[in-house]
Amino acid sequence: MTNRRAELDRGDLIVRAAFARLDVVALAVAVGCVWALGLWAATAILLVKGAPPDMGVGNHLALLGHFLPGYTVSWPGSVLGLLYGFLIGVVIGTVVGAVWNLAHHIYLVLMVTRNYFAGDL
Amino acid sequence: MPVKRELQLLNAAIRTNTKIMAVAFGLLGGAILWLSTVVLLIRGGEHVGAHLSLLSIFFPGYSVTWTGAWMGLVWGFVFGALSGTILYWGYAQTLREHLTTRLLDAPAATPLTPPTFLISGNALGVGLGGLMALQLLLTTNWLVVRGTAAYSSNAALLSHYLPGYTVSFSGSVIGAIELFAVSFIVSHVLAASYNFVARVRMRA
Repeated sequence: MTNRRAELDRGDLIVRAAFARLDVVALAVAVGCVWALGLWAATAILLVKGAPPDMGVGNHLALLGHFLPGYTVSWPGSVLGLLYGFLIGVVIGTVVGAVWNLAHHIYLVLMVTRNYFAGDL
Repeated sequence: MPVKRELQLLNAAIRTNTKIMAVAFGLLGGAILWLSTVVLLIRGGEHVGAHLSLLSIFFPGYSVTWTGAWMGLVWGFVFGALSGTILYWGYAQTLREHLTTRLLDAPAATPLTPPTFLISGNALGVGLGGLMALQLLLTTNWLVVRGTAAYSSNAALLSHYLPGYTVSFSGSVIGAIELFAVSFIVSHVLAASYNFVARVRMRA
């Protein structure tokens, strides 16, 4: 009896895990922090390493300025990159979290509706 | 529930979630490449998107033009969807053993309230690290196979961040190992931040 109960609990756990939702705010903040740190570190590494006298520092990374107005490979630019990185990460985290939750919700509604009309519910 | 049934149920759940992750990453990938192309086109200039158009090495037909933007949307979706699939597949490898530690229930949850997902840093590290390492291996060796490795000065710039990386087979292996390690650390930061905020919000 106890084993049967444990088996049912395990099955229930798997189903609950399958339909678990992502915390969109937490994901947005977490991905935002990672992107912010990533862009800041990418800029800072180039600044610390420097470049030969006849070459500019981070000419290629500076091309991000096309998409992120004001961003440059400089210390003030790295701080701006921190903010831009956070914003980009927030958007990515929100999209992934929202699509994940919405898709699970739709899947669940379709499943319940199908079972309802099949007479299982 | 016999172990076989349990495995079937878990595998079905993983298959569904893999598809959902593929769609999410596909939409994101397509949107990012489309938007990046469009921004450059709207800004205009003499050599529009000289660097972004190098993506055509990996995405045939892509260019920084209006037609290329739509091609980029398709390629971005395909690339994103594949990435999402590999990422979730890698993540799910340890899901069966740690199912009980990955869910967070609200204090006043009913049996019908879905729990909140907690992210495992190790599992994400394996998924994300594997994905990034595989992408670096494939892209670098594609440049080697097509015979343009010696001219790939842009790709070689990765050595600023991945010491020892070169556009060669051995360089790609060194770069892939380093990228796996960096991604593993990043995954732990991401998982810790997410779990912390999710727990705080759940308590609130």
